[in-house]
Amino acid sequence: MRPYLSSLLFLLIALLLSLAIGSVFISPQELWQTILGNGTEINHSILWKIRLPRTILIALTGAALGGSGAAYQGLFRNPLADPFLIGVASGAGLGAVIAMSIQWPYSFWGLMAIPLAAFIAALLTVFIVYLLARVGRTIPTTNLILAGVAFSSFATSLTSFLMIRSTSEVRRALGWLLGGASQSGWAAILAIMPYLIIGLGILAFCGHALNLLQFGDDQAQQLGLNVSRAKRIILTASSLATAAAVSFSGIIGFVGLIVPHLTRLWFGPDYRRLLPLSILGGATALLLSDILARVVIAPQEIPVGIITALVGAPFFLWVLKTAKNQGYW
Amino acid sequence: MLRKTLPLILLIALLSACAPQTTPTVAPVAPTVAATEAPVTAAPTEIPAKRYTDGLGREITLETTPQRIVSLAPSNTEILFAIGAGSQVVGRDEFSDYPAEAASIDSIGGSFGEYNAEAIVALEPDLVLAAEINTPELVKQLEDLGLTVFYLKNPVTLEEMYVNLDVVGQLTGHDVTDLIDSLEARVAAVDEKIAPISARPTVFYEIDATDASKPYSYGPGTFGDLLIQRAGGANLVTLAGITDAYPQVSLEQIVAANPSAIILGDSMWGVTPEAVLARAGWDALDAVKNNQIFPFDDNMVSRPGPRLVDGLEQLAKLLHPELFK
Repeated sequence: MRPYLSSLLFLLIALLLSLAIGSVFISPQELWQTILGNGTEINHSILWKIRLPRTILIALTGAALGGSGAAYQGLFRNPLADPFLIGVASGAGLGAVIAMSIQWPYSFWGLMAIPLAAFIAALLTVFIVYLLARVGRTIPTTNLILAGVAFSSFATSLTSFLMIRSTSEVRRALGWLLGGASQSGWAAILAIMPYLIIGLGILAFCGHALNLLQFGDDQAQQLGLNVSRAKRIILTASSLATAAAVSFSGIIGFVGLIVPHLTRLWFGPDYRRLLPLSILGGATALLLSDILARVVIAPQEIPVGIITALVGAPFFLWVLKTAKNQGYW
Repeated sequence: MLRKTLPLILLIALLSACAPQTTPTVAPVAPTVAATEAPVTAAPTEIPAKRYTDGLGREITLETTPQRIVSLAPSNTEILFAIGAGSQVVGRDEFSDYPAEAASIDSIGGSFGEYNAEAIVALEPDLVLAAEINTPELVKQLEDLGLTVFYLKNPVTLEEMYVNLDVVGQLTGHDVTDLIDSLEARVAAVDEKIAPISARPTVFYEIDATDASKPYSYGPGTFGDLLIQRAGGANLVTLAGITDAYPQVSLEQIVAANPSAIILGDSMWGVTPEAVLARAGWDALDAVKNNQIFPFDDNMVSRPGPRLVDGLEQLAKLLHPELFK
């Protein structure tokens, strides 16, 4: 029980910090008054309309990336796998950039066009990769990785080409691809919630299947697992969660790669535990990164995708160097 | 893989940040003013509640003359100061560095395309002046926070720039007639001087030559192109039949067109005429042989504000020094 308690505790601290810390300083006292409803109008606006929705969106995004990352690493039996391995990011990026090249009317659906296009394109990409990699009734893991990497490169190149052609929207596209929340607010949260709950909910119970898959497809089959079906379910659940997360937050790299590894280093390789803990850890890690992104050069903000790798990589290397259970993979 | 193209993309992003949009179809920028009387005095005039339509087609109502304005773009900041509304500006984006007074105004971020909503709200603005470099999503976010946001569309011609000055003048309670008259007079003076020229020198305007074998330049639809023509030059890019707004021009094409002048819009990033002289293959150009390489403040071309006229004058002087003695 202790891993869950400590993970939840860390997440709670990160959530509170994310509400308390921002580019505009609000003292703990004022913060408390604002929570009680006695704060100034500005503080009220900042806390409830800016910080809280942003905090929730970031936590959900981090949870999706952490959980999907752990699932992908288990599914592909590959320590380099991240939620974007077989095309969610490149597909979403392509969809977003295509949508950005069109001048949408300033309306609810006009504003939803970009996240919607990103979401659909991400799922479409994974589906195409899946069809390309399928051999008969089986989905060989190597095929899936190769098809995914090749198709991702293709989509990424197309994205770069479109960005260079339509120079006026490059800035916006760049911000999106670096993981800058293009849109916050409650509408975004409500829109991605269903996919995250379904996706992560399914993943949280895939631990046993993933444990079996570590023995290889044939052995897992002999141990009684319907391998093709398990793979399909895990792919679908991860893709749904990741696609929903990136559709509003943009491409945030590295979290989905290192959070599962950190969790593995600290709490061991059992996927039944690894998955839920990676979901919690992903939320915590992204929240902490986002706090940094807000304050490092305040009043300016940095796309959180820059922080995750800039701070995450050295931190991960330090843990890797000092962790006791080295042969964990 | 995206990371590989990032430096390049970042550069274009910075360049296009302040530049006019390529699509020449500009929705009507003129505001629909319900009340009829226009402010006349120089000091911010109190006006009755007025309704305006902004560049996104949004209806904006101003109850009183805004006294706490946040500018989200360098061009907007320059416009506000030029029309005499500088003292009403309480916040500006990170890139707003002109006029010098703007530096002392609180920054609300923006250098990564991320604007700090908390800082904007904390300034308690009664008007946020957005521009085309800002996303509709940002406008929506600020609108949802209860702020009054006016989105100023980029002009494509000098005349549309004057209209924008007028719009911002009406929003902020300043009469801009004199300013526009003087700008028009200065442009007319350049036109008059340029009129008798018999030959237009071919000009290559360099935005970024990090890769000197294919530097970036201004194409049709940009003020870079417009001002070069108006200043009595011929834009190499347009001559070469390139239709992109910010094309990457191959050195082969530049050599073939053989420009007689090179304008270094990238001098603000430290590029000097000496550096151009040292570039491999560039010695074939007349501009390099005759040392007709001029450092230039690109902000006067890329920011769609009143300083475009400064840019026009300076370009004309560089291209036709004999006419401006």
